[in-house]
Amino acid sequence: MSRQRPRRAVVTGLGVVTPHGIGTDVFWKTVKEGGSSLAPVGKEGCDHLPLRIAGEVRDFDADALIEGTFLVQTDRFTHFAMAATQLALDDAGFGRADIDSPYSVGVFTAAGSGGGEFGQRELQKLWGQGPRHVGPYQSIAWFYAASTGQISIRNGFKGPCGVVAGDEAGGLDALAHAAHAVRRGTDAVVVGATEAPLAPYSIVCQLGYPELSRNDDPQRAYRPFTTAACGFVPAEGGAMLVVEEERAARERGADPRATLAGHAATFTGASRWADSRSGLARAISTALTEADCRPEDVDIVFADALGVPEADEAEALALTDALGPHARRVPVTAPKTGMGRAYCAAPVLDVATAVLAMEHGTIPPTPNVFDICHHVDLVVGRARAAELRTALVLSRGLMGFNSALVLRQGSVPPPERRSASV
Amino acid sequence: MTDQVDHQVTIDDLAELMKRTAGVSVDPLILEEESGSGWDTFGLDSLGLLGIVAELEKRHGMGLPEQMERCKTPADFLAVVNGVLMKGA
Repeated sequence: MSRQRPRRAVVTGLGVVTPHGIGTDVFWKTVKEGGSSLAPVGKEGCDHLPLRIAGEVRDFDADALIEGTFLVQTDRFTHFAMAATQLALDDAGFGRADIDSPYSVGVFTAAGSGGGEFGQRELQKLWGQGPRHVGPYQSIAWFYAASTGQISIRNGFKGPCGVVAGDEAGGLDALAHAAHAVRRGTDAVVVGATEAPLAPYSIVCQLGYPELSRNDDPQRAYRPFTTAACGFVPAEGGAMLVVEEERAARERGADPRATLAGHAATFTGASRWADSRSGLARAISTALTEADCRPEDVDIVFADALGVPEADEAEALALTDALGPHARRVPVTAPKTGMGRAYCAAPVLDVATAVLAMEHGTIPPTPNVFDICHHVDLVVGRARAAELRTALVLSRGLMGFNSALVLRQGSVPPPERRSASV
Repeated sequence: MTDQVDHQVTIDDLAELMKRTAGVSVDPLILEEESGSGWDTFGLDSLGLLGIVAELEKRHGMGLPEQMERCKTPADFLAVVNGVLMKGA
């Protein structure tokens, strides 16, 4: 092979649709302040369900953001994805003029819940009125793949496209797929995850999860790493990112904001939380190796923070296993306790938050959490100022997938070493 | 004209169906003027056409030929639909 500089995948744009608000400005303001947007479930048809608290996206006006032809054939989770994509493209300053060829831009998304609201509506027509009353778009709207397809069609992106159905951790895996596509020759990839799992049908599907919090107090329902941990609160929303090849980004005048430096994924079985310790530790070590980083290079950890005592303990121990003595020193945070877990989108929102945290030199706190009962330096109460060059984002899924992603600020190579090709 | 209202699908009806079932906004005057153009001129895809066929079948309580989606233009489509409706009337 030639001795060309390795192609690096860098983040150039962020688009978020979240319970805290839409767009990174309002999102970061609330995250930085440790604000919480958890509230009683307000969706129609959910009053009688035992899920009381969730992170809902409010004031999302799909009609104002998305054309009618796309609206009628897509679910709310895809509406989020299309809106977040536009925000990310705008944030990156990535316009039509920047696209050499439609084949130079790819799309990757992860999804865990699919189009539950759309699906419920059509299934109700099926059983209430008959098969003839089910619209043809049911065939595409509720699939996990819908968002990738519609983003591709709406924007004319014909590069490598893919969908990751890999549990919550799939959100990080989608970013790894995007980074691989960039390294293999694609100039830009739109990547991320959005979820809308709060329709009655979708909530009923989640009621079987023993990890789901049924607490009815927004301030107490999701408190990982404490003795009061009683499960997680689900959420909707998500994030899309523009990831580009470093040189291609610079050539069009965009600054690399963070580098996708390393990633690894493991599987340790559904709800076997004690076992997730070794899987998560292995994912962290492998991701750090790929990023050419040492444990002590990690400046901030975005925890999975499931909120189940056994899982929280496994995560704290995994950090010790993988980072050694540095695990006691490195700041850990979980801003998702103020938003809820939007399944695949939760770790992608953490990645977006990590980029913003590194840019602002600020570690956002973990809302609603006090009195930590594990040996981790969890940032609570107020944000902490810190120079952040390397962030580690962790994610686990209820079905047993574990993933770790390493981000480096800007496009700087790992400290004190020549950058290795990854 | 009034006698046939129940049994004919007009350009206006089609424009309304395109909007409601496929989210495609098209001025009925333009749809009429360009009724010999392909569906893609108006931004309607094959699933959208399928939805319109299903809606018409429900509305008129009858079956349309299986090959309706082969109609390439609004003019062809209306000719076939109204032909079936005339026979059924």
